[in-house]
Amino acid sequence: MKALLYFIVIVGVVPIQSVLLSHISLWDVKPDLGFVAACLVGLIAGELDGLLVGLALGWAMSLFSAQDLMSGTIIKGAVGFVAGLAGRQVVYLSPVVFVAGLLVVSCLVGLITPFVLKLSVQQDWWWAVWTIVLPQACLDAVIGGAIYWLMRSRMNIEQLMSESRM
Amino acid sequence: MRMVNLRAPYSARRVVFVLAVILVLGFLLLPSQLQSGFQYIGSPLGWIISWPLQVVAGIHDRIADVWGRYVALQGVEEENQQLKRELDLLKEQNGQLREASVATERLSALLEFKKQALPASVAAQVIGRDTGNWYKTIILNKGASDGLQSDQGVITPAGVVGRVVKTTASTAVVLLVTDPNNAIAGLIQRTRDEGIVEGTTQGQARLKYIPLLSNARPGDHVVTSGLVGGFPRGIPIGTIIRIDKEEEALFQSAELSPEIDPNRVEEVLVIQSPSLPTEGERLGVPKLKP
Repeated sequence: MKALLYFIVIVGVVPIQSVLLSHISLWDVKPDLGFVAACLVGLIAGELDGLLVGLALGWAMSLFSAQDLMSGTIIKGAVGFVAGLAGRQVVYLSPVVFVAGLLVVSCLVGLITPFVLKLSVQQDWWWAVWTIVLPQACLDAVIGGAIYWLMRSRMNIEQLMSESRM
Repeated sequence: MRMVNLRAPYSARRVVFVLAVILVLGFLLLPSQLQSGFQYIGSPLGWIISWPLQVVAGIHDRIADVWGRYVALQGVEEENQQLKRELDLLKEQNGQLREASVATERLSALLEFKKQALPASVAAQVIGRDTGNWYKTIILNKGASDGLQSDQGVITPAGVVGRVVKTTASTAVVLLVTDPNNAIAGLIQRTRDEGIVEGTTQGQARLKYIPLLSNARPGDHVVTSGLVGGFPRGIPIGTIIRIDKEEEALFQSAELSPEIDPNRVEEVLVIQSPSLPTEGERLGVPKLKP
């Protein structure tokens, strides 16, 4: 059941990300649903699930992007793993704190990415921060927060988190 | 709602965790050539994902079509009047162009210019955009099984779109000409000066390494030079809108307005033939007799 759910997430995120999200992009920047999904899975289901789903999501998304497979796969895997470790340290997580956490982690990942990708000299660090990292972090936080809030209103997140850590 | 707990036992989880860590370390340590193996292994996954991708793209196209035909009709009357005026103008121009066409046909036959047809190409549809924000790419509905490979050129009748950078069995990723990480050999049509066309962060393109003595000016057309890459010579890339000449620089550069609007590209041609005809073959230069 869990594996099927993860498979649907992995197979479903790519079409939504590449076809539909380009229409709701702000300043030509769209949220990274793979990042949000890896965070949520890591946080709720633990670091191992977060790592594996993150790796698979990063790999699948890299197949449909010019980004190299290694960076995409490892970054998303690491995000899922770190989210799992962070989830282990908290008992209760409000949507506001989750949004703030996503904002910070998305910014950190965005700041590392230009160095990993070895982009063109035109795409310097400051350009990346102002045109991609900050807008994307805001969008990730809003989308992730909305999904988290929706999930909290439908299911007992704390119970799921505690079950995954047993 | 309570999820069913189907978690593996602790020891199995540990084994999976160790395998995942080995995978990550493998990725970090493997040379980039070997990592192309992972791209190859990913082809079946890419094939599976391409199905929902094409379904979503199809639904999206239908909705866009309905929206365009029935909902977004504001200002159509005004647009219609303007189009009628343009049509009258174009009819007049069409008459003149027919005359020019007859003359061109005559001259073409005279110069035996018939071998100028494009090399083998595959038509493909755009079904998506890059899954990230760092690159400007489009996703095509044709892939390795249709003969597409990395570095093949992608064009429309209007001009250059970009080049293929990645393929799965049924899809291909095309890095657009407006991406700063792209580089295409270009030629200023009027002055015959060559350079490299790169994208810019503003969504335009730039022709770099133009000789200082070149008299290129705004309005000049830039086409592919055909020297390297998957493009034959003479495919339009863009029009020069500004020349930048810095003091003590060895070269000048020019900002280009691309011929294509990457956000509106729907169908493209992928140039497949690896061996493009040389300029001599295309123009039918007589061969030397032994």
